[in-house]
Amino acid sequence: MLEVKGLKKVYRSGEREVEALRDLTFTVARGDLVCLVGPSGCGKTTLLRCISGLLDPTAGDVRVNGKAVDGPPPGMAVVFQEYGRSLFPWMSVRGNVELPLKQKGVPKQRRHELVEQSLDAVGLSGSGSAFPWQLSGGMQQRVAIARAVAYEPQTLLMDEPFAAVDAQTRADLEDLVRQLWKRLGVTILFVTHDIDESVYLGQRVVMLSSSPTVVQDELTIDLPAERDQLTTRADPRFIELRTRVYEQIQAAKKNVA
Amino acid sequence: MNVLKRTALALALPFVLFAGWWVLSADSENFYSPPLSAILTAFGDTWTLDRIRADVLPSLLRLFAGFLLAAVLGVAAGVAIGLNRRLRAVAEPVLEFFRAVPPPVLVPVIMLFAGIGDAMKVIVIVFGCVWPILLNTVEGVRAVDGVVLETARSYGVTGPARITHVILPSASPQIAAGLRQALSIAIILMVISEMFAASNGLGFTIVQFQRGFEIPEMWSGIILLGMLGFGLSLLFRLAERRALRWYEGLRAAQRSG
Ligand SMILES: Nc1ncnc2c1ncn2[C@@H]1O[C@H](COP(=O)(O)OP(=O)(O)OP(=O)(O)O)[C@@H](O)[C@H]1O
Ligand SMILES: [Mg+2]
Repeated sequence: MLEVKGLKKVYRSGEREVEALRDLTFTVARGDLVCLVGPSGCGKTTLLRCISGLLDPTAGDVRVNGKAVDGPPPGMAVVFQEYGRSLFPWMSVRGNVELPLKQKGVPKQRRHELVEQSLDAVGLSGSGSAFPWQLSGGMQQRVAIARAVAYEPQTLLMDEPFAAVDAQTRADLEDLVRQLWKRLGVTILFVTHDIDESVYLGQRVVMLSSSPTVVQDELTIDLPAERDQLTTRADPRFIELRTRVYEQIQAAKKNVA
Repeated sequence: MNVLKRTALALALPFVLFAGWWVLSADSENFYSPPLSAILTAFGDTWTLDRIRADVLPSLLRLFAGFLLAAVLGVAAGVAIGLNRRLRAVAEPVLEFFRAVPPPVLVPVIMLFAGIGDAMKVIVIVFGCVWPILLNTVEGVRAVDGVVLETARSYGVTGPARITHVILPSASPQIAAGLRQALSIAIILMVISEMFAASNGLGFTIVQFQRGFEIPEMWSGIILLGMLGFGLSLLFRLAERRALRWYEGLRAAQRSG
């Protein structure tokens, strides 16, 4: 369960002030998969950093499972937008995935199981001993996802995790996220600026306006739970929904102009 | 390029220089610059195992003690200062001042406090070579990537684990650069401290030869000193290459990427 209420964030650096978020209110129910769409620069990353306790909001509050956030909440994993910089280059892929588990006090045996399982799930079981910089961008992104999955979080935040991969890998990773979500029962907040992706992945889509940022609209995605890259995307209902999202985002832009 | 060819290239210039010295000094009548052949003969006669045990070994032990102590102190203080903005504001001007003081002038001062024994020499070495280690560590710690720090924080990698798994490895390239500078300073100070007041050691022995007008022996001591310095920096580079293989790889990947 994730509650965001009246969230506002103004960045201050000397004289300059940037109002990244004006007033955001929405909730993500336990076990839900919600996609957050919004134009570039509208404050999606800022929002995730507030939710993950890495950034103090200017006003409003964030609750995770009923507890007010004032620091990284336990049981939450984040896949950062800058996935390349978020992997530690001095550690092997396996070391990167394992370190958070060590910190959590997971016993060695179980740790190894989790590492191998999660690397396997993202199709990297052969790359455990490689260093992150030896991998392609898409593979690094998958390592970041594997690290989050191995952590066995209750809440998973993902910030445009598929921005750097080709279309085919992207489709595979989208299916992987849905599959992991169903298997692990985690609460997922997935940030993207790709409208099709948000409709394909989400149970619900929250649309943000462009700056000054507020919640433009929310939409329940009533597509069947079993989704398929070909049939779902050709489904008339899918097309209807993506048109709705598209219109809302266009409307948001006009409001500003 | 294969190893053989590289070694041959690296040795070519020293070989030419030595050959030139040999030829040019062959019929030298000058008492102060005897023929190289005489120096090499003296080298064999002078640097016997007993001599090495009595004079070279104590020098090396003092060198290592001073260098290691400076490394521990410099890295520990550097991490503390690098992580704490307030400490940095207080300490930085003082550090710059101490760094600007040429360490050899401290020898007479430290002699007043620490006498003329081994302790004095080790303190001189520590005092001279701690600064590049400390300042480089501070810089390395401050340059740790923000995304890396946020990742560590959100995955609960905090406290001592943050230092050992994140801060130190990330700063290690700069720390190594500081250690490398410190090593050459340490060798200089080892010799200088032994020239002031000592009863054994390389610096002491070379000065003794000079005072006794044993010129070929004096030259042989200088050659030995050069060889030691060269050998130590070679060893250091090997160790550095091993420890920082990830960094070389990362940089190569970034250059080509
Ligand atoms: N540390 C910061 N200091 C000052 N302003 C910032 C900072 N971080 C972000 N901003 C500003 O806040 C606004 C929102 O940035 P944010 O990164 O949250 O957008 P985003 O929606 O994630 O964009 P994108 O889709 O490109 O990733 C931008 O105008 C940005 O310039
Ligand atoms: Mg962003």
